[in-house]
Amino acid sequence: MLEAVNLSKHYNGTAALDALNLKIEPGEVFCLLGANGAGKTTTINLFLNFIEPTSGSAKIKGLDVTAQPLETKRHIAYIPEQVMLYKNLTGLENLEYFSALAGHDKYSREQLLNFFDQVGLQREAAERRVGTYSKGMRQKVGIAIALAKQARALLLDEPTSGLDPKASNEFSELLKKLSGQGVAVLMATHDLFRAKESGTRVGIMKRGKLVNQLRTEEIGHTDLERIYLEHMHD
Amino acid sequence: MIVKIARKEFTEMLRDGRFRWAAAIVFALLLASLVMGGKHYRDVKRQHDLAQAETRDQWLRQPAKNPHSAAHYGIYAFKPKLLPAMLDRGVDPFVGQSVWLEAHKQNEFKFKPAQDATAVQRFGELTAATVLQLLIPLLIILLSFSAFAGEREQGTLRQLLSLGVRKTDLVWGKALGVSGALALLIVPATIVGVVALAMVSDNGLLGASAGRMAWLFVSYLLYFGVFIGVSLAVSAWAKSSQMALVVLLAFWIVNGLIAPRAVADAAKRVHPTPSAFAFQQTMDREMQSGPDGHDTADKRAEALKQKVLKQYGVDKLEALPVNFAGISLQEGEEHSNVVFDKHYSELWNRFERQNRLKQLAGAVAPMLAIQSVSMSLAGTDFAHHRNFATAAESYRRFLVKKMNDDMTFNAGKEDFSYLAKPALWQTVEDFRYDAPSASWALSQQTISLALLTLWCLAALTFAAVTTAKMRVD
Repeated sequence: MLEAVNLSKHYNGTAALDALNLKIEPGEVFCLLGANGAGKTTTINLFLNFIEPTSGSAKIKGLDVTAQPLETKRHIAYIPEQVMLYKNLTGLENLEYFSALAGHDKYSREQLLNFFDQVGLQREAAERRVGTYSKGMRQKVGIAIALAKQARALLLDEPTSGLDPKASNEFSELLKKLSGQGVAVLMATHDLFRAKESGTRVGIMKRGKLVNQLRTEEIGHTDLERIYLEHMHD
Repeated sequence: MIVKIARKEFTEMLRDGRFRWAAAIVFALLLASLVMGGKHYRDVKRQHDLAQAETRDQWLRQPAKNPHSAAHYGIYAFKPKLLPAMLDRGVDPFVGQSVWLEAHKQNEFKFKPAQDATAVQRFGELTAATVLQLLIPLLIILLSFSAFAGEREQGTLRQLLSLGVRKTDLVWGKALGVSGALALLIVPATIVGVVALAMVSDNGLLGASAGRMAWLFVSYLLYFGVFIGVSLAVSAWAKSSQMALVVLLAFWIVNGLIAPRAVADAAKRVHPTPSAFAFQQTMDREMQSGPDGHDTADKRAEALKQKVLKQYGVDKLEALPVNFAGISLQEGEEHSNVVFDKHYSELWNRFERQNRLKQLAGAVAPMLAIQSVSMSLAGTDFAHHRNFATAAESYRRFLVKKMNDDMTFNAGKEDFSYLAKPALWQTVEDFRYDAPSASWALSQQTISLALLTLWCLAALTFAAVTTAKMRVD
């Protein structure tokens, strides 16, 4: 579903991402771990075609994202660390607008509110302007947008940072449900616990390189933390 | 998709307090200018109609008098205002609105409000044209400078582009959204304007001006299109919305304030016109000596005498069956008409060359193109003035010739003691003038209209290209 082939990005000679090879199948949740600047966000930006790769290619459903930027984006949904919305519009209007622009303009009001139910955003809040929302509420709108898009792959850039534990847990449940439906997920995160809980695989990145890949079912939480810290210390 | 984007932009603008205030102020100014323009139009029209009737009445009520005295008494001609003149006063305040038609002289136009106005008044006269040419573009800039730059700063652009939206859809959607917000202003103003026009105009005048009004409407839409295109392009290109605003305001200042003045100065330099004093002096000199400087008044009088004596086959003036003073007066008219034609057409051609240059300068600033088109369609540009002045002058020549001919054939030996009966005044029909058609006005403005269209197309293309190249961060 998502595939990186020798994907590299250099800025003035330094590699932000160095020959990444990665394949994420439908139903897989791949968690990218690593310090700030390790190349996690760069990877996601490359899949979104927001930046051009120096070499190699990023593919979605077998299509190169630079060659077919619009077609490939139809299959994915993106949730950044800070979901940004139009603050003069209500949550519902934001959801409706982003869904319509993603090609789903047939949703009824009830269907749209249903997406908010799924992500745990109160219906009365949906009618308020986004300017009054907390960060957590904005993240929930972002997740609802992703759900409404019915994407086959999710690109998540620390989506749960700033969410309270309950909301964070609800998000993990949602991810499990989606992966059960065959959605492929690439998530950059700092949260080892969350990665172990909701990920099927984890990858550890360091200075633009993917230095280790593990299956979460094969390791315990403490093992993951130990392995991660070993990589960070040398 | 485009409609969706437009509707969202429109909703956001309506909910933005800054837009509401700015739009309300511009709308109030536009309404005020329309009302003031309408009132001015009505007042001037009423005064002109009254004065025109009165001058005719005075002409007709002259007692029995020598026809040449009547020609000296003369008549006033008032330049009629077309309805759209209430939107754009053009050069009217500078070139004057009425002229005294009398024997011997092609007079300068009188009643030039600009002469009496203080410098401040000249600067700040509020007409609909000022609002449309300066303030609405400013409003467009304020509405759209953050269209892309603002979304980039807020981070919504990343989310938007991650959806797989075509960037061209975004541009057209945003352009449509701004247009919609503007329509909220312009549509009611147009309705108010048309109602105001209908109220100040006599029957049928509104219909007669419909063509000019429609073209004015289209021209201003093209002009606004330029600003929408440029604003969106700069917003997509600029690193920040602050930078976009600064660049756009610079464009606005150059277009609206610097370019018109600079071009007017340059046009005067390239095609200089003599001062009113020098102009009059040269004409007076040639009136005396003839265009070549050797044909003195005495020589001309002698030549005319010989010619007339030969024509009637007599050897002295007393034997002529006609009045020689009348012939001599008419000959004097025709001599001076040649001088007037030469000098006025030279002067007016210079003005027209200056205007042609200003039209061409529309390539640099769209303001110059819209100014030219707007004045022309309002019937207040120099070409319309010249058209009227030419008609008034040929009426003057007709009137004076009629008086001289009466003297020639009816005065006998009485010369200037001859008195014509008041019935003679009736034989001079009233001065009638029909303003040129809209198509005549348009034919003078092909350069400006073409440049305006080009500007609009180029600006929108520029917006589409810049947006296609736009990066998210």
